[in-house]
Amino acid sequence: MLPEELHAQLQKKIAAAHRPRELAIDVMYAVQKHYGFLSDEGLLEAADLLGMTSLELEELATFYDFLYRQPVGRFVIHVCDGVVCWMFHEGSVFDYLCQKLGVCAGQTTADGLFTVLPTACAGFCDHAPAMLVNGVPYGPLTPESIDQILQKLRSESCDLVVCR
Amino acid sequence: MPKLIIDHREIEVPPGTKVIAAAERLGIMIPRFCYHPGLGSFGACRMCAVKFLEGPVKGVEMSCMTEAQDGMVFSTTDPEAVEFRRYVIEWLMLNHPHDCPVCDEGGHCLLQEETISGGHGLRRYEGKKRTFHDQDLGVFIQHEMNRCIHCWRCRNFYQGFAGYRDYGAMQIGNRTYFGKYQEGPLESPFSGNLVDLCPTGVLTDKVARFKGRRWDFERGPSLCLHCSLGCNITSGARYREVLRQEGRFHEKVNGYFICDRGRFGFRYESHPQRPRRAKVDGREVSLPEAVQAAAARLGRISREAGPDAVACWGSSRSSLETQAELRRLSRGQGWRAPLFFNDASQDRKVRNAVSRLDVRLAVSLREIEEADFILAVGADPVNEAPMLALALRQAQRRGAQVAVLDPRPVFLPLEFQHLPVPPGSINRCLCILLKGALSSRAAQGLLEAGAAHFYDALKCSYDQDPGLQDRLLALGRSLQPSQRAVIVCGTEIVRDSTPDLAADFVLLLNTAGIRTGLFYLLPGSNAFGAALLSGTAEDAPPLHPLIEAMERGEVKALILVENDPFWHFPDKDRLKRALDRLELVVALDYLPSPVMARAQVVLPTTTLFEGQGSAFVNQEGRLQWAPRLHHGGAPLAQVGGGSHPPRVFLDYVPGSEPRPGGEILRDLGAALTPDPGAPAVDWWTWLAQENPGFSNASALPAPPGGLRLLPEAGKPPVLSLEEVNRNADRVPEGHLELFLVDRTFGTEELASYSPHIQKAEQAPRLLLSAQDAAQLGLAPGEQVTLRLPGGPLTIEIEAAVNMASGVMFLPRHRQLAWQKLGGWPMLIAYNAIEKG
Repeated sequence: MLPEELHAQLQKKIAAAHRPRELAIDVMYAVQKHYGFLSDEGLLEAADLLGMTSLELEELATFYDFLYRQPVGRFVIHVCDGVVCWMFHEGSVFDYLCQKLGVCAGQTTADGLFTVLPTACAGFCDHAPAMLVNGVPYGPLTPESIDQILQKLRSESCDLVVCR
Repeated sequence: MPKLIIDHREIEVPPGTKVIAAAERLGIMIPRFCYHPGLGSFGACRMCAVKFLEGPVKGVEMSCMTEAQDGMVFSTTDPEAVEFRRYVIEWLMLNHPHDCPVCDEGGHCLLQEETISGGHGLRRYEGKKRTFHDQDLGVFIQHEMNRCIHCWRCRNFYQGFAGYRDYGAMQIGNRTYFGKYQEGPLESPFSGNLVDLCPTGVLTDKVARFKGRRWDFERGPSLCLHCSLGCNITSGARYREVLRQEGRFHEKVNGYFICDRGRFGFRYESHPQRPRRAKVDGREVSLPEAVQAAAARLGRISREAGPDAVACWGSSRSSLETQAELRRLSRGQGWRAPLFFNDASQDRKVRNAVSRLDVRLAVSLREIEEADFILAVGADPVNEAPMLALALRQAQRRGAQVAVLDPRPVFLPLEFQHLPVPPGSINRCLCILLKGALSSRAAQGLLEAGAAHFYDALKCSYDQDPGLQDRLLALGRSLQPSQRAVIVCGTEIVRDSTPDLAADFVLLLNTAGIRTGLFYLLPGSNAFGAALLSGTAEDAPPLHPLIEAMERGEVKALILVENDPFWHFPDKDRLKRALDRLELVVALDYLPSPVMARAQVVLPTTTLFEGQGSAFVNQEGRLQWAPRLHHGGAPLAQVGGGSHPPRVFLDYVPGSEPRPGGEILRDLGAALTPDPGAPAVDWWTWLAQENPGFSNASALPAPPGGLRLLPEAGKPPVLSLEEVNRNADRVPEGHLELFLVDRTFGTEELASYSPHIQKAEQAPRLLLSAQDAAQLGLAPGEQVTLRLPGGPLTIEIEAAVNMASGVMFLPRHRQLAWQKLGGWPMLIAYNAIEKG
């Protein structure tokens, strides 16, 4: 169940919109932020708030990279899958990360810290190859800088937002 | 008009035509998956590539996304385009399973055809195929997602065209999954169209699953009889039973699509208990013997008790031939004029409606899609005539404003304005709306004298709800700039004068320069024909006097033609008693109805699938013709004892005795009067003498598009100001008015005999407004018992917010013994509604 405060806040926001549908993504993000991922329960609550069907929200939620329909780690790493990053050996970034963390794309490390996912072009081409960690861009990446970033994330209690 | 050259052939097409449609006009079918003429272009599949050689566009382009322009020259056979399409089909086929032999689509599969036409024969892909879990989508549709090639037609139709929101596309890219959020029956009553649209075997007809390939079927054009719209259908029969139906294009009626009631409601035709042998006093005899026996008994009663002792009761679901032969028979014998409707009020409303339609006013279903303002009066499209809801949606998608003036909690798959007013107030609300519509013209003095006088005298106060009055006036004002308005008027729950009032208003709006069409919904697939054959409204034989005459013993013999009074008569016990008093009941039907079991003489008739060809007139007066589909007989599945082919050869077809109702009635007439004396006139001449409405028609089969039986100019306005201005009749204090209403599934007689439709039915519930429920202290979902004249009726209630108060609605449901109501109007006192 969403906390009453959040529920009321979302309701107010939706009431002010021209059409509730416009806010579908925003509401799902808010719900995701509350649950840590967009759970079935959260999706149904969002559908209820928006007056949309569960299917309509599922269509959106499963289309967009940053809405997670399954539990994710504390840090969600989106490796950029854009053309410019390919040119800068994005593949090896992906492979290196996976190897380092011992997971495949889409999996979460056993300690629950990291989830590795690809994403469409993150718009960080001038720093290619790039990745996003909980919405914060990093790049240009090298194996060494990746090690450093992971080390930093592991050691520091980092209060990064889950996308936005 | 743009002129272009396609494969060296020139063609001129209307502006806005897509290149793929322009080619189709030349008979060139460019390969396609996502494009469908009923749905439009989508650009998802990349299969319709052609090469543009000259003109504003150059190179390989998608023909469904390119608008035809002047000077275009393109080739569908250019090597570059052909190679492009070959790669596209190869890649679309990457994951497609090799399961054609067990796939129901095989034989009429667009993917098979385009794979061949694209030149893809050998699979080069050796990787793992992508697979999915399938969902159970209910009784009508089989899901087999592995076969999907992602053309998006299903979602396009389901959400875009039809406006339902529980089926769609999830995931992304190669993983895109077409289905529901959670498996379960599809909510849309138009889901069957997915079967027609799916270019391969992802969505197939579950009802016809594993029953045959397309080439196994006797397949032909037919008509839908499950409401008054007269949608066109292609039916397929095999081994003497109809197994599968598809939508058939009609540019004026249904377009490409049909509803699920029409598609899956056909199983009454092969009902295991369907009467197939004639019976006299419960003994099976041959049909000619039974006709002779009926003639002898009818002749005797007619001689001894006078011709008035014989009554005929037909129905609005019979073909025109059957109805006409019944009329002819009773006329020839001097019997009482036949009835075709279920009660006097329905009879009046349908005749009034039919008498008001003319060539100028009547609009077809497809013309509704072009309208810019639609007002539905006393109509619940999804439940009464489902395809109307789709037409309204198309209009709304093109920018039309849709409003519904109806007391029920009407649902439509589109945005519309709902004005819930009780039937007694609909007339007054129409007046207010008209006042709003004509206000600016009246203020400018643009109305001619008669109309201006009428306008001035129109009452437009609605004391019960001043807010509603303002909404109606505003709605009326938004009608002012309309170019193509349509008024849809139902004939079920409205008062007797409402159909006339709707017509009068349409006339007035037209004189005031607002072009407005009129569209009625009628009860029954051939209600229009029945009304034409019933004569004018003035000489309408009222119905209840027939029951009274039966009770008094004045009527001694009753001929029931494709009519089951136990289905529609509101007082079952009274009907039973009245039937028991009769000396003779002769029943003709193809349904295993309860009245067939009571009749002394049973004469089995054919359905429209096996008749010699039958004509039906839809609610806009369109005479349409359904030729014979197959030659009748009991289905092999029923007489073969599980073995096929039959091991014993017979010189007759078992169960093939039923004959068209019209033919049986003609034989009955001949047996009663062996020598009619006067030479028989041509059938159409006789019909035109009966009603000039038929003078347009001269022969059957009617032309493929149908033939409209409408006069050039109809009646002038018929209602007096006094009648129009009559105050809304109110339900007495402490009472609720009860109406019988339709549901998409469960209340239509023919479809209710289909097991698949029965599975799709929702349990019947008593609908009343939340306000009334609160006043009665009832909670939604609670059981109540209605004390009705014919006994108690226990039913669950449903409290709706968006409906008028003071009224209740009971579905005329197969599962509900509602035939205890007694009669009309039905007022239920508060204290006759008890909890539990």
